[in-house]
Amino acid sequence: MKAAAPDDALAAEAAQWLVHLRDDETQGNAAALARTRAAFTAWKAADPRHAEAAQRMEALLERVQGLRGQAGGNARPAQAALSAALSTGQQRRRIARAGAVLALAFALAVPVAVTLRAWPPAYLMADLRTHAGEWQDHQLADGTRIALRGGSAVNLRYDAARRTLELVQGDILVDVAKDAARPFVVQTAHGRIRALGTRFVVERQPDATVLSMLESTTEVQPAAGGAPLRVHAGERLRFTAAQADAATPLDASTTEGAWRRHQLVVHDQPLPEVLDALARQRPGHLQYDRAALEGIRVSAVLPLDDTGRALQLLVDSFPQLRVRMLTRYFVMVDTAPQP
Amino acid sequence: MHSPIHVLYADHHGWLLGWLRRRLGCPHGAADVAHDTFVRILASRDALLGLREPRAYLTTTAQHLLIDRARRQALERAYLAELAALADSHLGLAPSPEETLAALQALEQISAALDGLPPRPARAFLLHFLDGEPQGAIAATLGVSTRMVRKYLVQALLHCHAATGGNA
Repeated sequence: MKAAAPDDALAAEAAQWLVHLRDDETQGNAAALARTRAAFTAWKAADPRHAEAAQRMEALLERVQGLRGQAGGNARPAQAALSAALSTGQQRRRIARAGAVLALAFALAVPVAVTLRAWPPAYLMADLRTHAGEWQDHQLADGTRIALRGGSAVNLRYDAARRTLELVQGDILVDVAKDAARPFVVQTAHGRIRALGTRFVVERQPDATVLSMLESTTEVQPAAGGAPLRVHAGERLRFTAAQADAATPLDASTTEGAWRRHQLVVHDQPLPEVLDALARQRPGHLQYDRAALEGIRVSAVLPLDDTGRALQLLVDSFPQLRVRMLTRYFVMVDTAPQP
Repeated sequence: MHSPIHVLYADHHGWLLGWLRRRLGCPHGAADVAHDTFVRILASRDALLGLREPRAYLTTTAQHLLIDRARRQALERAYLAELAALADSHLGLAPSPEETLAALQALEQISAALDGLPPRPARAFLLHFLDGEPQGAIAATLGVSTRMVRKYLVQALLHCHAATGGNA
């Protein structure tokens, strides 16, 4: 047997101490923990090389402990992240040995449970859905046409009495085929929009639904009840489950042209709503504090196929805004601290 | 007079870009990784003298970068997805961007330190030091003796010790 180098032997001894300490900690034995801690301190004080051997491992463990303070003391996000990163590494090594393609490692790495949280079951199980940045057009059996923007999901329920489209998330443009016997209803958590034959755009925001009328008329019924509201071509109506705001004017041809050209047209809307729409077109995570940005109102035409440029345009118009890109998949938007 | 990195770049940049494009299927990502590959080689340029197989060297460096990228992406996605799920179930839990960034950087360092560790020691390490599970419980989970769990934990710590040595 080969004798270990002295440095390695010291590191191994330091590792034994750290495992012993943590064992006492997890067992909740305060007296034993105090004794072990005192003995470890004495060991480190006995020789500067002892303390040096332990130093990097202690620093790393401190960082691990620090993660427990994040996320309200819940270690689950950190645990999930490290497991995903490690399994990427392990799959990668196997695949690299087999000489196969590396790109696969990433596709396989994210566990199913995590996938389900990022893309909730309601989205995954929807009848029609689009990925971030993907656009789709569908013609339904009755001749109704639906266009979906990226990150959208809808369920369809057609029966003899009515045609119901449930908008789970995202933005859609609906061109309803006329059928006097079966009204067409768009349903969201915030209420329903009833049409006979017409064209309109529906956007599902986190706490409200926004209807933009391009042609003809619909009736809106917020979920809490009350008299239905009639919304006409050239009007935009935002409603929550409790109530509807007053309708505001809208340029129907601009709105429709923007859909065709994959643009986002916003007129005096709060910045978080604009960022919501950009986030749906963007793979990865766009992070922002709604409350802090609520006061910034935006009027703009932004390219949805190039969200990086859209963010740059926002920064150009609002110098107080700051966009930080940690990676392509994690972007933070906030306001720069005042000097 | 051309430096070796100039020659390497002029001769092989286009080829490396094509190689990366085929692997990534994304022209922007390929350009980023190709750029980072040369930056990394530039930082350790001594290796360029007398290079016999420049393309093998380039692809090895690029592969390492691709691996780092995939690991970082998996890590970020999993962390942010779990955080979002927690925020949904515990109202009022909303870490600031700075806190999230700090956590991601810490996670990145920890995952780099653990990279290359076999699955069982890695699992034991996270269960014990992150989740705070006692060694006996981990032994039951992994189906091994408590003695073996201790061995895994020491192995994991020594692995981190060695992995963090270069940049200390």
